[in-house]
Amino acid sequence: MRVTTPLALALALFVPLASAQIVPEEISIDTMPDPGPNWFISKTGNGGYIFDATTGEMQGLLSLSRYTPAVTMWQPRREFYATESYLSRGVRGERTDLVTIYDFENLSPVAEIVIPNHMARLSIRNHLGLMNNGRHLAVLNMNPGHSVSIVDVEDRVFIYEASTPGCAVIMPVADSDFLQLCGDGTLQLIQLDISGFEENRVRSDIFFNVMEDAIFDRTARSANGWYLITHAGTVYEVGSQGSEIIINDSWSVLAEGEESWRPGGDEFITAHRDTGLLYVAMHEGEVDTHHVPGEEIWVLDANSGRRVHRIELEVPATSIMVTQEAAPKLIVADDDGGTHVYDALTFVFERTIVTPGAAMFEDF
Amino acid sequence: MKLEKIIERGYYWIDDQARQSSLALARKLSRRSFLSRLGMMLAGAAAFPLLPVARSFAQSSVEEVGDPQSCEYWRYCAMSGTLCSCCGGTYTSCPPGSEASPITWVGTCRNPVDGRDYLMSYNDCCGKSVCSRCGCHNTEGDKPVYFNSNSNSVLWCFGTENTSYHCTVSLVLGTTDETN
Repeated sequence: MRVTTPLALALALFVPLASAQIVPEEISIDTMPDPGPNWFISKTGNGGYIFDATTGEMQGLLSLSRYTPAVTMWQPRREFYATESYLSRGVRGERTDLVTIYDFENLSPVAEIVIPNHMARLSIRNHLGLMNNGRHLAVLNMNPGHSVSIVDVEDRVFIYEASTPGCAVIMPVADSDFLQLCGDGTLQLIQLDISGFEENRVRSDIFFNVMEDAIFDRTARSANGWYLITHAGTVYEVGSQGSEIIINDSWSVLAEGEESWRPGGDEFITAHRDTGLLYVAMHEGEVDTHHVPGEEIWVLDANSGRRVHRIELEVPATSIMVTQEAAPKLIVADDDGGTHVYDALTFVFERTIVTPGAAMFEDF
Repeated sequence: MKLEKIIERGYYWIDDQARQSSLALARKLSRRSFLSRLGMMLAGAAAFPLLPVARSFAQSSVEEVGDPQSCEYWRYCAMSGTLCSCCGGTYTSCPPGSEASPITWVGTCRNPVDGRDYLMSYNDCCGKSVCSRCGCHNTEGDKPVYFNSNSNSVLWCFGTENTSYHCTVSLVLGTTDETN
């Protein structure tokens, strides 16, 4: 009793003195710093997670609709563009499709443009394409016939819906044109005028057979156009010159005796434009195994058609993307929901990033 | 009493309309014309069962073996999605309260019992949350989205009141030797 009383008194005096020296913390809200090299968006079912591939640190989140096919951006305006689709009661009720514009600073919606409720609600990167002029955004529709909604993201208005029967995929070329793949084995070029309306439409000759060896609806942007690949691994580089569609000579990713290997996965093909390196997730399998994740990533020099390296994976890859920096990173989503970073030139594994399973990646 | 009078007047009105339209028709059409149209209708009705859709429904049920709750089941060779047979429905019926999409993708599957190839229709059931039981992704004959009639990646909840995806059923439309 004699000891405890003075101790209690000492504590009673000491505690208020100690707490008086602590400044109460106040909550604050960060803003996004300027994007650094090798930043990327990991698009998941829960939104777009922004990461720095060099450090593996998350920078912020874009909240996107569950049905968002893809997200893209335009650096000069410091804006992201995402197509979204909402049902007023979650799984029922009135449907609203829209293009939502998010700012860089707060990753917050700053504008919404309602579009026809025809958006193809599939997680496919090339179902959304911002024209190279940064003004007109093309959104792929399926109702169930194919069409394309054109939105002016600068003036924030829906322009019109162009019917594109039998053709899908949006591959921007030139200033305000885009190429599409068609089920009859051709390419379609649609050229927009300054207002975003269709000015011209051209169809190529038939150059592939969708029943015998289909070209995937996943493509990769090249320095001059786009790389296409068939289920059996034949690569075409395509582009445009004015109103002419250019289809270069094809080559195979397979060497002799490698016919059992096939490309496949989700967004399984990506290219580094400056070096012409093409990265393709490959697996061993039969015909019609084109959605099987890749056991390896093959790195090919698209200029010579020769393979440079085979990256063997512990867990097969579903989606891959190479950043466009001079020291690029290869981002890999695996079949178990993991996300991994490799040096894209030395092919050395660098880190694993913890994030919900990514459907695809978008470079900053 | 008043109600009876209203009903009676209604009957008179219907009778009168029918009489007037019959007279108008008789004035416009000859008897031969009427008979020829009647004949066309009868011939058309007789020809209807020859159409492929009607034939497929006319055949007897398919003999099959296996577990309809397994992705390995023969009907699911080009299936992508959640099996309705695991979600309160069957491989031909949508679970309670969902809506059947009338628009589908198709595939061709071989039945191990009779060794015949069957034309399959994969219909999505819509209007509820995704069931997420018995996920199944087979790609036999699957084509890219630009060839959407044979693409199993597409959400096929078109033509339904609510467009959310719940699960998928697989219906036999006929055998491929019938359609050849």
